[in-house]
Amino acid sequence: MAQPSPSPAAPGSPRRGTAEDGPVLIARDLRKKYGTLQAVDGVSFEVASGEVFGILGPNGAGKTTTLEMIEGMRTIDSGSATVAGVDVAKDPRGVKARIGIQLQASSFFDELSLVELLELFGHLYGVKADAMALLAEVQLTEKAKSQVRTLSGGQKQRFSIAAALVNDPTILFLDEPTTGLDPQARRHLWGVVRELAERGHTIVLTTHYMEEAEELCHRVAIMDGGKIIALDTPDALVDALLGRGFHKERVERLANLEDVFIDLTGHDLREAE
Amino acid sequence: MRLGVYWALFVASFKMFVRNRGALFFSLVVPLVIMLIFGVLNFGGATQVALGVVDEADDQASQALVSALDSTDAFELTTGGTRDDELEQLADGERDMVLVIPAGFTMPLSDDPAAQLVAYTSEAQVQQGQIGGLLLNAVVAQVMLSAGDPGAPAGPVVQTEQLPGRDLGYIDFLVPGMVALTIMQLGIFSVAFGFVQLKRTGALRRLFATPTNPTYFLGAQVTSRLIIGEAQVLILLGVGLWFGLQLVGSVALLLAVAALGSVVFLAMGFGVAGWAKNEDQAAPVANLISLPMTFLSGVFFPREAMPDVLQRITDFLPLTYLADALRKITNEGAGVADISQDLLGLMVWAVIAFLIALRLFKWE
Repeated sequence: MAQPSPSPAAPGSPRRGTAEDGPVLIARDLRKKYGTLQAVDGVSFEVASGEVFGILGPNGAGKTTTLEMIEGMRTIDSGSATVAGVDVAKDPRGVKARIGIQLQASSFFDELSLVELLELFGHLYGVKADAMALLAEVQLTEKAKSQVRTLSGGQKQRFSIAAALVNDPTILFLDEPTTGLDPQARRHLWGVVRELAERGHTIVLTTHYMEEAEELCHRVAIMDGGKIIALDTPDALVDALLGRGFHKERVERLANLEDVFIDLTGHDLREAE
Repeated sequence: MRLGVYWALFVASFKMFVRNRGALFFSLVVPLVIMLIFGVLNFGGATQVALGVVDEADDQASQALVSALDSTDAFELTTGGTRDDELEQLADGERDMVLVIPAGFTMPLSDDPAAQLVAYTSEAQVQQGQIGGLLLNAVVAQVMLSAGDPGAPAGPVVQTEQLPGRDLGYIDFLVPGMVALTIMQLGIFSVAFGFVQLKRTGALRRLFATPTNPTYFLGAQVTSRLIIGEAQVLILLGVGLWFGLQLVGSVALLLAVAALGSVVFLAMGFGVAGWAKNEDQAAPVANLISLPMTFLSGVFFPREAMPDVLQRITDFLPLTYLADALRKITNEGAGVADISQDLLGLMVWAVIAFLIALRLFKWE
C-alpha cells in the first residue's frame, strides 16, 4: 500500500498550477462511521495551492463522505481537516465561506433564473455576485434569464460550478462533475476546469473516469474501503505499475473508440438533450 | 441578524411560489372553483325552520310544549338561550323564528296578556316565518288537546311579531369557511410538498454548503407564505362580495385571525415536510391531517347537522376554531372578545403544532 505523499505535485508535470504557497488543505486521519460501516477509515492527504487533486475510487469507497467532512457538511468522527487555515470541526461556517462546492447531482430552486440564483447565492455568502461574469466563466451567458430546469445536463453542471465560484473560493470542490454527461459535454467541462486551474484555482475533484483524472489532475488519490490505497501523480502511478512487471494483454492502439466517436460526431456541444 | 440574507431568501421564496403553476393552481384556482360551484348551486334553501325557544316559565307545562316542538321534524330547535340572545340570533339570520314562553305560561292557556306565547319572526325570512307560524300553532293546539284542554282554540294561539333582520345566504356561510380551508391547504400542502421537493432534489443541501444558517431560509419560507395567505384571504373575500357576501366585520381582524390560523397550519406543514423524506411519504400524512378537517370543521355545511358526539369532538379541531372565528367576524361583526375562545383554541394548537414540528423536523 502506497503511503500518502504529503508533498505537492511532482515537478515536471505537464499542467502545473500557478502558486506553491504550501498546502491549502490538510486532512489528517479522517474517520467516519455509519452504523457498523466504517465509510472513511483514516484518510490523510494535503493539497497544495494551485493544484488539481483527484480522488478516485469505486462507488462506496468513501470519496463523497471524505469531501463532505472536509467541506463542513458532515461531522467528523475523528481526525482533523484544515482548509485555508481554518479547522473544519471548530468553524464549519468559516470553511464554507472560503470554499466553493459543487455537490454530486446539484439541484437548485427550479423557479429562479440563473442570474437570480447567482445573486441569491451572493447574499448567502455575504458577497456581491457579478452574475454575468460568473456565467461567462462557464459559457452560459445566453442562458442568463432561463430557469435551471430548462438547462441540459452539461449546462446544469457548468451552472453549479458558476454557483460554486460566487464567493471567489480558495478551493473548489467538484464531486463527480462529469457523471452522466455525453463525451462532448464532458470534454467541454474539462476545458472549463482546466481554464479555472490555469487561473490559479485550487481544485479537488472526485471522478469515476480515469481519462478525466489523467487529463485534469496533477495528483490523484485512489480510495477503496474508506482508505487511500495509492497517492501520486498519474504518471508516477502508471510507472510504478509497469515497474511491478505489469503489461497489458492487448497493447493500446494509437487511438481508441472515444477518439473515433469524437472524430465522427465532432466537439460541438449538443445542448438539446 | 443579517436582514439582507433574509430579504433575499424571502424574495426568492415568494418568486418560487408565484412561478410554481401547480402551487398557484391548488391554492387559488381550486378554492375559487369550489366557491363558484357551491355559490351557483346555493345550498341555502333550508328545509327546516330554525326555531329558538326561550323558556322563561320552565315548568311542567312549558317543558311539555318544548318536548313536543323538539319532536317535530320540521323544527330545528335551539333551547337554553335568553330572550335577548335569541332575538340577536334572529337579527343575525341564525334563527328563522324565536318562541318566548313567558313566566306566567299555563296549560290550559290563561287570558292574562303577560302569559301569552309570543313568536318573533324576521322580515328577512318571511317565508320561513310563515311556515314556522303555521307549524307552531298546530303543535301548540296538539299539546293543548293532549293535555285535555277542551276549549280548543278557534284561531291562532301564538301572537306573531315581525322584527328587522338580515338574510344570511349560503354564500355568507361558505366564504369564511373557504377562507379557513384555503389557509389550511396553503399551510399544510404547499409546505409539505414544496419543502420536501427541495429536500429530495438536494436544493436544500446546496444551501447547507453556504455559510448562511439554514433557519433564515425557514423564516423566509414561513413569512412569504403568510403574505401569500393574506393575499388569498383578500381575493376570496373579494370574489365572495361579488357573489353577494354580506361582510359586516372588520377586514383587519379577519386578516389577523387568518395569520394566526396560517401559523398553526404552517407549523403542521413543516412538521410533515421535516419528517418526510419525499413526496410519497408527505402526501398521505398531509391528507390524513387535512381531509377529516375539510369535512368535519363546518366549512361546507354547519356542524349542527352532525351527531352530537361528533360535534363535541370537532369543536376542538383547529380548522373549526378558524372557520368559526372568521364566520363570526364576517357575519356578525364579532370583535376580539367575541371570538376569544376560538383565538385561545388556535393559540393552543399553534403551540402543539410548533412543538411537534420542532421534534420531527430533519433537514435531510
